[in-house]
Parts: sequence; structure tokens; C-alpha cells
Amino acid sequence: MSAWKVVQENPLLLYQCVALVLLAIGFFGVVWRRSLVGMLIGVELMLNGAGLSIVAAGQLTQADGAKAQLAALLVMGLAAAEATLVLAIALVVARRFGHVEADNLSELRG
Amino acid sequence: MEKLAVLAFLAYGLTVVAGALIAVLARSLVRALAGLILALFGVAGLYLLLSSPFLAFMQILIYVGAVGVIVFFAIMLTRPPAGAEEWTPRPAGRIVLALVSGAAPAVLLGWACWTYRPEASSTPASVEVTRLGEVLLGPYVLAFELISVVLFVAMAGAVLLGFERRRER
Repeated sequence: MSAWKVVQENPLLLYQCVALVLLAIGFFGVVWRRSLVGMLIGVELMLNGAGLSIVAAGQLTQADGAKAQLAALLVMGLAAAEATLVLAIALVVARRFGHVEADNLSELRG
Repeated sequence: MEKLAVLAFLAYGLTVVAGALIAVLARSLVRALAGLILALFGVAGLYLLLSSPFLAFMQILIYVGAVGVIVFFAIMLTRPPAGAEEWTPRPAGRIVLALVSGAAPAVLLGWACWTYRPEASSTPASVEVTRLGEVLLGPYVLAFELISVVLFVAMAGAVLLGFERRRER
């Protein structure tokens, strides 16, 4: 069976493909960005991919769709909490160092 | 999938990918935030396509509303100076590292998804919002309460960190 045929019969793979692209781009962003805020944006992208994958897996298979949607809501809540904490940490770091460049956040000399 | 669903999926998927690329590659962080919001809207569209409109609404409310504003506050409060850190060139190995670290988990998980794909139907099951509420306040009430505790602790911690004075050294 050709790959296209499989995908046509199993659209779950398409949604998982989008989720994986979000994961890859988010991970790339976390490594690529220099500032903490840029890294936060990458993490948000990754969490979105996770939520999308959970909902697609719950809605398109025999699994319980309600559980999947609630799990995605949980992910959203955790993402909001994490964003708040990163905001506070970035604030403290900016106050102490004058910048939020992740590579230069060290007080040790030598 | 129906023809129309395929078209909608392509439109939303391209929105997501384009927004994510802008969010990661834009030099100005405000533009990156705009890209992030574009990607979030695309994911909300995909939720609609999965016949979970409540989740799409929550995505727009929580992510686009709350998280977008929080990230905007983070950008503005840390105020990167002109010629900020995102403009400076990276070391040469950085892009290789970033590409490898981005691709490796995605390829691994993609292989796992392809190899162990379950039987899937092409029409998503629709779940009533009332059923969501029943499940949330029935068997999963502990998770519901715990997530509110986690949110409260995160907010309290953020406020505490915000009050921190600079120590004299």
C-alpha cells in the first residue's frame, strides 16, 4: 500500500505530522534563540504541538474523546502557569543582569 | 476525508507552519509574538476541524488571550536594547546544533507514529460540552482541583519573584 493511500485512510497521521512540525520548530527555536523570551515562544509552540497530538489521537481513534480534550485543557493550563513563571524569572534576570541573554547569565568569573 | 476538509486542513496546517517559522526566525521579538499568535490561531482551526469547538474556543481564550499578553509583557518589561541580542550573529555550530536538536526528536517520534499507527476513522467523534463537564467534575475532579492549585502557586510565585529586591554585593 502506498504511503498516500495510508494517509488518506488514516488522517490521524496528518495531524500528528503537523504536531511533529510544531515540536521540531519549537525545539529549534529554544536552541536558536538567545533571549529567554524567545525560548519561551519556542516552548509554547512545542506545548501546542503536544495538545494538538493528544486531541487528534482522542478524536480520530476509538479512545474516549472527552478524556483527550480534557488532557489538552490541562496542557493549556500548565502552559499558562509556565508562561507566568518564565515572565517572573525573566523580570528578575533583567533586573539583575540588565539583559536576558541566556549565554551570558553567569556570575562566575574565570 | 472530504475534499473540503482536505482544503481546510491544508489552509490551517500552512498557517500553523508559517506562523511557527515566523515565531522562531523573526529578528524582532514582537514579530515573533505575532507569528506565535498566527500559529495558535491555526491550531485552533485544526481543533475545529477535529470537531472540538469548545477546545478551539479555549485555545483562543487561553493561548491567544492570556499567553499572548504574558509573552508581550515579558518582551516589553525586559526591554531588549536597540541592536538587541537576537540581531547578533550566532556561532557557526549553533545552527547545526539547533537543526539536529529540532529534527532528532521529531524524526524519532514520526517513525514511531508511522510504525505503530492505530486504526483511525476519518470522521472525528463529537463530544458534547456537557459530557466534558461531567467527566471533569466526576472521575477527574482531582486533576481539576490540582491544576487550579498549580496555577495559584505559579501566580503566587511570580508575584513573589516580582517583589525581589536587588541584593547588595
